[in-house]
Amino acid sequence: MRRGTIVRWGVPIAAAAVIGAAVGAGPVIAAVSGEPVLPERTAAQLLADAAAAVKKAGGPPAMSGTVQQTASLGLPALPAQGGTASPLALLSGSHEVKVWYGAQDRLRIALPGQMSETNLIVNGDQTWYWDSGTNTATKVKLPAKPEGDQPLATPSPTDLTPQQVAETFLDRVNEDTGVSVTNTAEVAGRSVYQLVLTPKAQSSLVKEVRLALDGENYVPLQVQVFAKGSAEPAFQVGFTQVTFSPPAEENFAFTPPAGAKVEEKEFGQLQEPGADHSKEAEKAAEQVKVVGNGWTSVAVLPFKQDGQAQESREAQAAKLILDQATPVSGAWGSGKMIKTKLVTALLTDDGRLLAGAVTPDELVKVAGQ
Amino acid sequence: MTSEVLLEAGAPSGAAPPAAITTSGLTKRFRGGQVAVDAIDLDVPRGSVYGFLGPNGSGKTTTIRMLLGLITPTEGTFTMPPLTTVGALVEGPAFYPYLSGEANLLRFDAADPSAPPRTAKARAAEALERVGLAAAAGKRYRAYSLGMRQRLAIAAALLRPRRLLVLDEPTNGLDPQGTREVRALVKDVAAEGTTVFVSSHLLAEVEQMCTHAGIMSAGRLVAQGTIASLSGGRAARIRIDTPDLEAAARVLAALELPDVRVGSDVTAELGGHAPERINAELVVAGVAVRGLSVVRTSLEDVFVGLTGEGFDVDG
Amino acid sequence: MSTADTQTGARRTPGLVPVSETRRSAERAAAPREPSVLSEPEPSGGVVAFWRLLRSELGLTFRRPRNLIMLGVLALVPVIIGIVLKSIGTEDADGGMGALLAATAGNSLMLTFVALSALVPLLMPIAVAVVAGDSIAGEAGTGTLRYLLAAPAGRGRLLAVKYLNAVAFSVAVTAAVAVSALVVGVLLFPVGPVTLLSGTTVSFADGLLRILITVGYVSAGMAALAAVALALSTLTEVSIGAIAATLVLIIVTQVLRAFPQLDWLAPYLLPTHWSGFDGALRDPIGDMSGGLLAFTAYIALFLSTAWARFSGKDISS
Repeated sequence: MRRGTIVRWGVPIAAAAVIGAAVGAGPVIAAVSGEPVLPERTAAQLLADAAAAVKKAGGPPAMSGTVQQTASLGLPALPAQGGTASPLALLSGSHEVKVWYGAQDRLRIALPGQMSETNLIVNGDQTWYWDSGTNTATKVKLPAKPEGDQPLATPSPTDLTPQQVAETFLDRVNEDTGVSVTNTAEVAGRSVYQLVLTPKAQSSLVKEVRLALDGENYVPLQVQVFAKGSAEPAFQVGFTQVTFSPPAEENFAFTPPAGAKVEEKEFGQLQEPGADHSKEAEKAAEQVKVVGNGWTSVAVLPFKQDGQAQESREAQAAKLILDQATPVSGAWGSGKMIKTKLVTALLTDDGRLLAGAVTPDELVKVAGQ
Repeated sequence: MTSEVLLEAGAPSGAAPPAAITTSGLTKRFRGGQVAVDAIDLDVPRGSVYGFLGPNGSGKTTTIRMLLGLITPTEGTFTMPPLTTVGALVEGPAFYPYLSGEANLLRFDAADPSAPPRTAKARAAEALERVGLAAAAGKRYRAYSLGMRQRLAIAAALLRPRRLLVLDEPTNGLDPQGTREVRALVKDVAAEGTTVFVSSHLLAEVEQMCTHAGIMSAGRLVAQGTIASLSGGRAARIRIDTPDLEAAARVLAALELPDVRVGSDVTAELGGHAPERINAELVVAGVAVRGLSVVRTSLEDVFVGLTGEGFDVDG
Repeated sequence: MSTADTQTGARRTPGLVPVSETRRSAERAAAPREPSVLSEPEPSGGVVAFWRLLRSELGLTFRRPRNLIMLGVLALVPVIIGIVLKSIGTEDADGGMGALLAATAGNSLMLTFVALSALVPLLMPIAVAVVAGDSIAGEAGTGTLRYLLAAPAGRGRLLAVKYLNAVAFSVAVTAAVAVSALVVGVLLFPVGPVTLLSGTTVSFADGLLRILITVGYVSAGMAALAAVALALSTLTEVSIGAIAATLVLIIVTQVLRAFPQLDWLAPYLLPTHWSGFDGALRDPIGDMSGGLLAFTAYIALFLSTAWARFSGKDISS
């Protein structure tokens, strides 16, 4: 090959290399980042700081940013959804949520879809839910506050903000768990402490949980759940971009636009229109039994297979998943096993649903109890 | 090499280098190994009309494409005047069918970075006038006849005063009248001092138009030089048609003509003798002369001698 | 370096005549028989000559009936959408695009966004692909490429002109849709404050500004496609081949995007980012930098590929 030819083709190759480097830079930097930029902390110190930051009476500092949630649970592929606003859509793929947090009573969460947007805006005693897809503004009446210090109920059935997810995991930090801290990672361009929680139980499907806490103010910026035998996180939620400064006031001001439908609803009814699961969910919740504790806890609940509301997307998706389940049987009876990277579920023929982040063997053991 | 070309471009008029185009070992091997042009060493003198002669497929167009920078030589080098001073007609005309003749010329003029935009229209009109297309200037190219298209291509090559004109088969598709016009045009252009490099597969054309010629065969340059030197490689002969073969041969030998041969007629190299003088001598010697002719070797003989190939007489 | 390479350099940089005009005039008088190359007026300079070639290129593109018809058809779509919306009304609009259509009936500016949503996935890319895919291959096919290069247009220079021309056409395509939709919208629907996707209401002027942002973003997306089509155009001498290859790429990527299993691939596909213009309809204006970066990456990669290919290509057509 001529030298001229090599030089010429060097240009696009260099361009490709630069682009490739830029595309891969995020994960690469996070993984191999060199010098620790934060002072060392013991896990205990950090845990205390973190717990204080999350539970602090004043709440986390004012901030805004983009939260990305990625799930690769190894679920069977779900049929394409009409809009990303469906909670089920959050179970697979990658989703972005914009968050503006002013104070405990000033919050805006926006879920952008293609040529659509769903917003939850909390401003003092006013809470609005805006869905551009249906051109509907819903004034939400929050249920009477429980006496707990949780300032805000989660708007979505899937926990979305790192704060909430972190809290759940922090509660699990006990003697079942190996805890270590790294101080070299970076999330959304900020130096973070990464708290690595490793379940000790053999039967847990979770390899480790990594919790990234902002190096300055200990706000959890990212949570990653790694399944055993997988290098990529099975579930991840975290900021891809974050600013710790009070967001513009306009974000919390909402007036229903002219021409929009305006409704008023209880918080619990704030679901997919036509699919009012809240009552059933409540009923189901009363019947849930938790067997075991910590990482290996298994939820047991009654489940009717001749589904209610077959037309709903959720039901269709459930059916699709069930069709791919493996039949299993044993001394305890028989049923269908669904295994994903992180969660195993067993639907017994006698009408019980067992689910947990445990190995199938463990689940079968619980089913036999 | 770059500096050499630049030097030539900027050279004062008095110090004109002797050659307009030189190539050295110029070679083009296409992918697949086919050698289209095989190490040719062209030497096109400045101010000449150089006939680049060879049958179709002998590598003429490939050479021209290399000279114009359209394809990269596999090996070898060449020097040329800068392309802004070269007008070219390569492998037939090619224009935008939906544009008028004039608009087409302006399009190609715009592509030349050194063409002065202000004079573009005037130059286009002049070029069209020169090839006899002034009346059809506003007509769409689509409606042009084959001959008009060829002329438009020549007009494009003449848009600016040129140092070198490269014309690849310029008379293709022209009627005899058009062919004559092109020849006249070439003569005109050459008279202005422009070097003309004209490729052709027609011998007669090259013999009539050119001062120099190079002969291509199967990718190789088998001969080049002035037309005179090429065809003069072998001397002209006198041929006498007579029943008195022996007597005639004696007379020619007595006149000291070299290489006297006797067959069905008598021939000898003419040397510097005047044919009418020889005729007189023959008559004086009582030889019955039925006919007397002078046979000059033509380019064709040279070519056949060099390559063992003939030309297709009329493309 | 081989000798052929040095020569290559020589022929690509045709020497300008570095002598002042006055001196050349004098020479002309002294040596009238010298070919008058040296007596030409001073060439107008690189930039001016570049603009001249670009103007010539734009003239070809925007006078060519085929291209005008494509622009006309694209400009017609908003008219049809507008008339249909006006005549059938949007009472039974339900969810998704329905609500957007309903919003259109309520505000003149929304028609622009509806029209772009409808045209950005396929029709506008087709128009851009036709012009950019034809750019080099078309000239090669008709043989005019050899005359342009012998002129000598210069390969890099010609490629730059061809790409800028394709970018201009991308902008024209987007502007044709936006302007047509704007005019039809103002004629058929109420003019006033605009409701954004976020539920915020902004003034008409703010709405116009957002349309301008949208036109810029969509044009950039189309310009990225033009770079792909231009690169394909340097690979062939059959313009329909380059155009068809570009269209196949668009359709294949659009199909790939429909598979949720391939979600991980989506951020790398060009069409994914085209619809990102809806960021202009959010409050605050959505982050479009991701899309613009993707467009830049596509342009850098494919333009440099086109250059590497074209500058070394043997032109044998």
